Amino acid sequence: MSEIILSLEGVSKTFNGKPAVSDLSFDVKRGEITGFLGPNGAGKSTSLRMALGILTPDSGEVSLFGGRPRASALERVGFLPEERGLYRKMKAIDVIIFFARLKGVEVAEARRRGLAMLEEFGLADVADSKVKTLSKGMAQKIQIISTLIHNPEFIILDEPFSGLDPVNQKALELIVRARADAGATILFSTHVMEHAERLCDQIILVARGRKVFDGTVEQALGHVPRRVVLETVSDQDLTQVFAPLGEIAEASEGANEARQWVINLARGVDAQDVLKTCVDGNIKLLRFEPARAHLHDAFVHLVETSGQFASETLEGEAV
Amino acid sequence: MRAIYLIARREYLSYVATWGFWLSLASMPMFMALGFGLPILIENSQPTRYYVLIDESGGTLEAAIEAQRAATQAAQAELTREAATQMLGDSPAVEAAIANAPAPAEKYIRVDPGATDIESLRPYLLGEQDVETEDGPQPLFAAIYLRQDVTGGIEIEYWSTNLTDGELRSDIRRTLSEYMQLNRLLESGVSPELVAAAGELRPTVRELNPERSAEAAEVTTAERLPIIVAIAVAFGLWIVIFSVVNMLLTAMIEEKGNKVLEMMLASSRHHEILTGKLLGVAGVSTTLLLVWGGLAATVGLTLQQLPIAAGIPLGEIMAAVLDPGLIFPAIGYFIIGYLMYGAIFLAIGSLCETLQDAQTLMSPMMLIMMVPLFLVMVAADAPDSPIIVIASWVPLWTPFIMLARLPQDPALFDILGTTVVMVATAAAVIWGAGVMFRMGALNQANQDTVKGWFRIGGKGKAG
Repeated sequence: MSEIILSLEGVSKTFNGKPAVSDLSFDVKRGEITGFLGPNGAGKSTSLRMALGILTPDSGEVSLFGGRPRASALERVGFLPEERGLYRKMKAIDVIIFFARLKGVEVAEARRRGLAMLEEFGLADVADSKVKTLSKGMAQKIQIISTLIHNPEFIILDEPFSGLDPVNQKALELIVRARADAGATILFSTHVMEHAERLCDQIILVARGRKVFDGTVEQALGHVPRRVVLETVSDQDLTQVFAPLGEIAEASEGANEARQWVINLARGVDAQDVLKTCVDGNIKLLRFEPARAHLHDAFVHLVETSGQFASETLEGEAV
Repeated sequence: MRAIYLIARREYLSYVATWGFWLSLASMPMFMALGFGLPILIENSQPTRYYVLIDESGGTLEAAIEAQRAATQAAQAELTREAATQMLGDSPAVEAAIANAPAPAEKYIRVDPGATDIESLRPYLLGEQDVETEDGPQPLFAAIYLRQDVTGGIEIEYWSTNLTDGELRSDIRRTLSEYMQLNRLLESGVSPELVAAAGELRPTVRELNPERSAEAAEVTTAERLPIIVAIAVAFGLWIVIFSVVNMLLTAMIEEKGNKVLEMMLASSRHHEILTGKLLGVAGVSTTLLLVWGGLAATVGLTLQQLPIAAGIPLGEIMAAVLDPGLIFPAIGYFIIGYLMYGAIFLAIGSLCETLQDAQTLMSPMMLIMMVPLFLVMVAADAPDSPIIVIASWVPLWTPFIMLARLPQDPALFDILGTTVVMVATAAAVIWGAGVMFRMGALNQANQDTVKGWFRIGGKGKAG
């Protein structure tokens, strides 16, 4: 069984009478990439702050590396907060060295590593530039370097992809993957499901401060029905034919007497069964498109069915 | 400890690298130099004035004025000679140098344009014509007519377009006033010797301290120095604290605006950030104090003869400043005062995104900080005044007011009591500031939260 790096057990936190996190429990296992997903204001940042001991929970237990999140444990953690900023009047390399030294890296080693990482990130020529002269993307990379400079064994990234352009988002995904391959444990929060779907071994879904799912991506996808999109030409009443396959989500008139169907497949039914039914029924197919479910659909489904999604959207309001 | 050291070091270096720090460093000696030099500069930059004196009494009044002018010049020359011999020693070479030194430039020079009636002089007074002087053609500053009636009454008619420079007018009036008084006494049969002797009469004042025996009861000027020095140190303390807490506030607001605090919190704890910042800025203020103190000591040693010549007891002042009875409490009051105000201003900074946000919270703090500035002045004259005694128990004012009271032997109960209350309050303030800082740093509270606490009949609402 994998070692548990971080454990939250029945953790709750309230601000001015408003619950931000309610009875939240989850584990992060060594070597895994865990996605912490939820809409804006779901309590993700508050949970991560409690995980690091920046905030104290009103109730529940937090365990980091098997103990309370003390200052000594922070040296093993690299944290990229959602609210990002740097000392604007300092040089890029000096900022990196400062944060490295806070994490216990010697100054010469911090400089060596800092320059190497700047080179790796394509920022070698701005090492001696003041942060205020850098672009937003460059500054964000400097912050990522500052987070990773001490080679943390546990990396926590709070909405790391926000504010980055698609190219840099891809680059960050590669960095996360590389760190994980090198043995680091990674927990990152996001409300953009595509990143989580590509990266995560495990995902935790939260809404309104409560956990609604905890498992693998495949397990999450198992909660949403798979779909098949069909375009048929037939004189038969296909509603009766398709009914055993699942729920007909959509049926509309197409061009040239064709009809379009969207079928949410029933549990145990797959796309091959639909195709077989059409062939057996001598139904002329103009289009046959098995639609893969996405984590976004799973998330919406899970949140809706959990009753935590009264008025929010994925890009919804902050609590 | 490492985090505190690193944060303090970063803070210190970030301040030292700013123009503001170097301006602060230069400001004190600059202001002192201005304080000493500006009056001299103003004095020397005033133009020479040319005037006409017409004595219609036949020359007696003019003679009295000239005699007085000569006497004044002689007295000034004697003062200069005494100061020079004190500084450079009493030798024939110095005497010769003094004798050969050019006479100081006169501010008012009498001229004769060749006219005596006001109508002829009017164009000169109005600047339409210049009078010929040794310095070339110059405008006429004033025309003064002196008249004396049969009863001895004197009338001065003073013509000038300059309404503000009244020094010449005052000099002439004072001289003639003395002349009239002397004449009246002489006419009454008093001998000139007696008049001169009467003018020298002064009462002897002995100031005695009843707490001492009769032989040692005499109070000397040197004994008053500690009081003056303590007040000066209290003011200095106030200026330093006021300067550096403002640095803390602006830096904190900048850091909050840069959103760097959460990154810091992932590497260090609230109390480490707070302590590191306080220590870093304390280092800045210590640097300021050391540089200013070193500069003052250097200037004092370099020009040590000058204060003696000017009658300034430099040695006694230094002894009063370095008196352990003053310097150790001053250091203690500085530390506690700095920690209290520093922690409060850091907490305010952590609640605000901009300086405008901070204004609302700063205003009451500024008022609180201004009060001891006035009370210290009162404490100099009336250290036992009930207002001063009560005010010295207000912890935020204790460092300044008690420092001013210390040389005047306040009650032991006051010293110990105010210290205990001040230290306890400082601990509470630092703890409270830590809580506020923690909330402010993560945007769980802002300036509206604090305003909400003081809202009458309403509950505070967090932002």
